Amino acid sequence: MLVEIIDVIISGMINGSVYALMAVGLTLIYGVSKAFNFAYGSFYSMGGYVAFMIFGAHINNYILVFCLAAPILFLLGYLIEKALVAPLRKRDDWEIKVMMITLGLALFLDNSYQVIFGARMKSLPTILEGSIELGDFILSYQDIIIFIFSIGGILAFRWFLNNTRTGMSVRAVAQNPAGAQIVGIPKEFVFSATFAISTVMVGMGGILLAQKYFVTPMGGWDILVKSWVITAFGGMGSIKGSLYAAFIVGMLEAFVGWHFGMNWTLIALFAVLLTTLAIRPQGLMGKWG
Amino acid sequence: MIQGLLNAIWGMLMIKIENLNAYYDDFHVLKNVSMSVEEGQIVVMLGPNGHGKSTFLKSICGLVSKVKGSIMFNGTQISGLAAEKIVNMGITYIAENRELFPEMTVLENLKMGAYSKSARTHEKKNLEKVFELFPRLKNRVNQMASTMSGGEARMLAIARGLMSNARFLAVDEPSLGLQPNLRDEVARIIKEINIAGITVLLVEQNIPQITELADQLYVLEEGQITFEGSKDEALGNDHLKEIFLGM
Repeated sequence: MLVEIIDVIISGMINGSVYALMAVGLTLIYGVSKAFNFAYGSFYSMGGYVAFMIFGAHINNYILVFCLAAPILFLLGYLIEKALVAPLRKRDDWEIKVMMITLGLALFLDNSYQVIFGARMKSLPTILEGSIELGDFILSYQDIIIFIFSIGGILAFRWFLNNTRTGMSVRAVAQNPAGAQIVGIPKEFVFSATFAISTVMVGMGGILLAQKYFVTPMGGWDILVKSWVITAFGGMGSIKGSLYAAFIVGMLEAFVGWHFGMNWTLIALFAVLLTTLAIRPQGLMGKWG
Repeated sequence: MIQGLLNAIWGMLMIKIENLNAYYDDFHVLKNVSMSVEEGQIVVMLGPNGHGKSTFLKSICGLVSKVKGSIMFNGTQISGLAAEKIVNMGITYIAENRELFPEMTVLENLKMGAYSKSARTHEKKNLEKVFELFPRLKNRVNQMASTMSGGEARMLAIARGLMSNARFLAVDEPSLGLQPNLRDEVARIIKEINIAGITVLLVEQNIPQITELADQLYVLEEGQITFEGSKDEALGNDHLKEIFLGM
């Protein structure tokens, strides 16, 4: 019993860490642009497919795969933002229009994946085979590495936000776009860069999880829904809130899946979300307005 | 007139604005505004609330998207340029509602003030200057901007503006919502900033301490310049007396 519970906690922590990485990315774009990115889940699949293609080119070292995938994802995110989202920003109500266009983009991307890669799921090689045994539990190296990479990604991102000029300008735009413009921050660039960074974050999550859950054309929707639940639950735009919420959601999933069966996890998730939002509409750490 | 001609010949005009029109959506806010600011001056523009004073300053600083007309800064056309380019050239707007970064510390706010390329290399020097001018900020470098009082936040907004290494400051109602003693303080600081070599264009409703500083006065009503002249000329103008002093 105790061993099982600890297993469940570990699995919750590992999934929670990847969710945290992805939800922080979604929160970031929302925080900066106040527009919701519906194509976020499709960027998750994009990460998986980009890695799949890199492996297809016989590059089998994961470090290399990450080093190649990150700039590719950044560039794709940047170009998509410049081509589709940036032109909308000149109009009124652009936040709503961004949601519409990213929803369209999601459907376009997912169907493109299906045509290009086929409907069958793709698998990525395991990052590191083997496991360590600590008494009664077994921890696979894969899970340990997923955890370390996700937390490492979040810490690196935090460092970037707090210690680099570009990172600080991202925070400045999120906190006060008018103020950011006044001090001479190129707002348009920050919007595009933020979008691109969040694409890298969710794409990396896609690569990390693809080893366990495969890559499929429509696989991103589940991630979009979960990232959205986490963002709304944690408080739209609050990075700290998203972090807590991601681990709570990871744990909740693990425990509900273990005790009631996997079918119940999403229901439990939404029940918790709806209860939270009914009591505290701004989410755990969100602010009014 | 003669003054203007001399300026044109000597090239002393820092800002020269001709037939400036600005719009918010379809609302025509500024109508053919022409004015100029000489280097080293403090120019004060008075006018009732909602008559376009803020829009006027924002138009100069590239913060209004729909602008027509000519804005020359040291002989370069800046009308229509992006805000970040204008900041980089040495023009900084200090907002009436402060526009600080609430979840950043005082120090982080000041550092963001030095974001533009032309300010970065002077960041250290300007930080020292700013702390000299605002000793209270120095003791509060780690305080979150959102927890500051109205007066302190105003000082921080001015200080952040100075971090940009600007040669020209566009200051929007710096005494708005401040108690009289703080107004004196703001006036003193504006004067010091000007003595340090920065040209100041300031808009206000009629605040005596601020108007007192003016080398040149303008009045903006319903988006148009209705008066231009010195303080003494303003005092002799019955229309101005009526609208500002109720006499």
